[in-house]
Amino acid sequence: MKVSCLLGLCFILLSQMVFADSGQQSSYVAFPSLDKKLNQQEAVLIVHGAINHQAISPLFRAYQERYPNIAIHYTESNTRHLYEQFISQPNTRPDVMLSPAMDLQFKLANDGYALAYDSPELVNVPKDSHWRNELFGFTYEPIVTAINADILAGAALPQSREQLLNLIRSKNHLLDDKIGLFDIQQSGFGYLAWAYDGQQSRSYGRLLEAFGTHQARLYTETSLMLNALLKGQIFVAYNLVGAYSYQWSQAYSWIKTIMPTDYTTIIMRTAFIPRDAKQATLAKRFIDLLLSPEGQHILANQSGVTPISTKVKGPYSRDELSKLPHGIFRPIPLGLELLLQTDDAKKRLIYHEWDSAMLYAPNDSTP
Amino acid sequence: MAKATTSIRRQLILMVATVLIVINVIALWSAHIYANRAAKESYDRLLYGSALQMAENINLLDSQFFIDLPVSAFETLALSTSDRAFYSIMNGQYQVLTGYKDLPSIPFTQLLQQSIEKEKFVPIYYEAMYHGETVRFVALGKRLLEADSVNDVFIIVGQTLDARRAAATEISHMALQFVTLFFFITLLLLLFVIWRVLQPLQAIKQAITERSPQELSPLEAKVPSEIAPLLKSINYFMAQLDNTLIRLKRFTAEAAHQIRTPLAGLNSQAQNALDETDEELRQKQLQHILESSNVLTNTVNQLLSRATLTHRYQSHPFSPVALDHVIKETCRELVVWALERQVEIEYIGDIQVTIKGDEFALKQMLQNIIENAIKYSPKGGVVEVELMMMDELSQTSIVLQIRDQGVGVPDQDKEHIFEYFYRSPDNFASGSGIGLSIAKEVAEHHDARFHLKDNQPTGLIVEVIFSQQKGLSYES
Repeated sequence: MKVSCLLGLCFILLSQMVFADSGQQSSYVAFPSLDKKLNQQEAVLIVHGAINHQAISPLFRAYQERYPNIAIHYTESNTRHLYEQFISQPNTRPDVMLSPAMDLQFKLANDGYALAYDSPELVNVPKDSHWRNELFGFTYEPIVTAINADILAGAALPQSREQLLNLIRSKNHLLDDKIGLFDIQQSGFGYLAWAYDGQQSRSYGRLLEAFGTHQARLYTETSLMLNALLKGQIFVAYNLVGAYSYQWSQAYSWIKTIMPTDYTTIIMRTAFIPRDAKQATLAKRFIDLLLSPEGQHILANQSGVTPISTKVKGPYSRDELSKLPHGIFRPIPLGLELLLQTDDAKKRLIYHEWDSAMLYAPNDSTP
Repeated sequence: MAKATTSIRRQLILMVATVLIVINVIALWSAHIYANRAAKESYDRLLYGSALQMAENINLLDSQFFIDLPVSAFETLALSTSDRAFYSIMNGQYQVLTGYKDLPSIPFTQLLQQSIEKEKFVPIYYEAMYHGETVRFVALGKRLLEADSVNDVFIIVGQTLDARRAAATEISHMALQFVTLFFFITLLLLLFVIWRVLQPLQAIKQAITERSPQELSPLEAKVPSEIAPLLKSINYFMAQLDNTLIRLKRFTAEAAHQIRTPLAGLNSQAQNALDETDEELRQKQLQHILESSNVLTNTVNQLLSRATLTHRYQSHPFSPVALDHVIKETCRELVVWALERQVEIEYIGDIQVTIKGDEFALKQMLQNIIENAIKYSPKGGVVEVELMMMDELSQTSIVLQIRDQGVGVPDQDKEHIFEYFYRSPDNFASGSGIGLSIAKEVAEHHDARFHLKDNQPTGLIVEVIFSQQKGLSYES
């Protein structure tokens, strides 16, 4: 234990290496093995993911406690970039892919890039959270709206999309240039959430119009949007990843997180092992940990994201999530329906609508 | 002894099991075929349904294709939860408008050919390898009309085969379970039925084992009509046995009497001879003893020969016998003995007959009849033996006649002379009274009839009529 504590310190020092990758923002974090012996070739598990490394590192640590002689190299980037890199650079493919862009992940699995793995831990998670033993959903996360409560001047928080529209209408010019959205052409996650809204909601068209007329700002990542919210650059952020938003709400009392009560979209972060993974065995062990009660427990207690398992307890468990005010949970199904989100014609239509609405939108993807 | 070859029960069970297995294998095989076809058809429909929904949402807008695929098309595909799906939408120039760009060869020519023949697009199904798996595709065409331009668009949707395989396997498994259950239930029922049907046989066996060996009265058991003949045969056999036993008892008693009486006579004659002082009288008495002893010897010989014959009846199968030859031989053998008694034997007849029979027994029969005829013939008489053919009731029979010129037999005695030890009250010749009854038994054994007639002017005709047998052959 003493050794691992010492090495844990070492890991913190080494882990904060951030660099730019081909113009896109990617961060790279290395987790060296816990008991590296001299002159011994180190086994490395390469993970690419669109999940905050602070959120995923407790899992990496648990993995290294199980397998102390394995190092983990984690590259974090946004969902679309992750997908495009996977397709265009076959040589740099990881051993594990983690992403909340279910449609892109699904497309890769459907097109045969994923390795089938019949994990014994699948019994711990719901049946519809994995597909063909190739794609494994491991979180259950609401998509939320964050609002700067100060602008309400004591009025009630809008709880649904309808109320949000009313708010935008009533505040009118106050919200000009003050609504934050995912740039659906840059962020796979943003596109998925928006396209799903298009399938689910009658207010979709009016929302788009309202966002357009108020020159909504576009962001590529949740954290950038939350930063902008904190700085007062925007007052409303629509379709955010719930876990991050709730963390910010806890830190800053005026940032309120709302799960829309008309319906609350749920996404799963999914993992898969690429077919040509160099360390497939290590990757399988990682999937096992991810789906195991232990891994799910870590998610529910340390990472801040809600795990898929209904059995684990913790502050971020599904039990706790359902105690918060919310609408009907509508999980985006992990299945062939996702192919529609990747359809080019559909995408062109949605982009076209989006572009027509967002003609004057300032792009804040780079702060 | 009856030989137990195989048990009916075992045979029945074996046959029933075989038939059941054959039926069940056929049932399983058909279920397998049906399962595959059902799975294929139902999943083909899903595929087609999905393609139709996609086609529905392709339109022309200002000469441009407007494609807004509905989520329901994908939801339809998602009904087979574990299958990959691929799709592509192409224009008339085979350019991909949306979807997968590298689908395996699409049968456009066939699609167009059929659309011309049937004047509309019909779906075409085909299978191809894609991304390392066998994929079943449906290709569908849609004709879009705008003003004076005609635009074709093709929708291709494919899906891997896991779900249909799983469905087929599931149906097959269900069929297997059902068939297995059915097999065992049927087998049990049939075992019960076999047991139930064979129960009467068991009952007969039980009834026979429980009897004392002396009891030969008919069995009274309720049996099905198929087994009734068996029971009847058993009862008939037992009646025969009973009859035989009675006759045997009577024969034994009579034989004992027949042997005991001359022995007692011999005894007293020998005693008398011992006491006789007159040499001449004693000579006469000794002569009597010798005669009595001869009669006794004769009787014992006849009895033994009959016993031999009875044994032969049971152990010797019939073989072809040249009847005329046997008759001639017997006559020849008896000719010397007859001449000693100054009787001639004359064989008449020139036909050659072969019958199936026991040569030894037939010879015994002939000997006995001819000897008898000689015995009752007057000195200088002739015994005629004739073998001839006779037409009787449109049937040709072989008839053997032995004619003597003795005193004959009165009509009231004719029906008795074949009985054991029967002797006419006014019979004076020496004899055991067995010879003719043996002859009659042999004849009966050969399916021949005995017939007695009076000879002219005096004497007896013994007629043996061989009815037509299979394999009987004769030549004139």
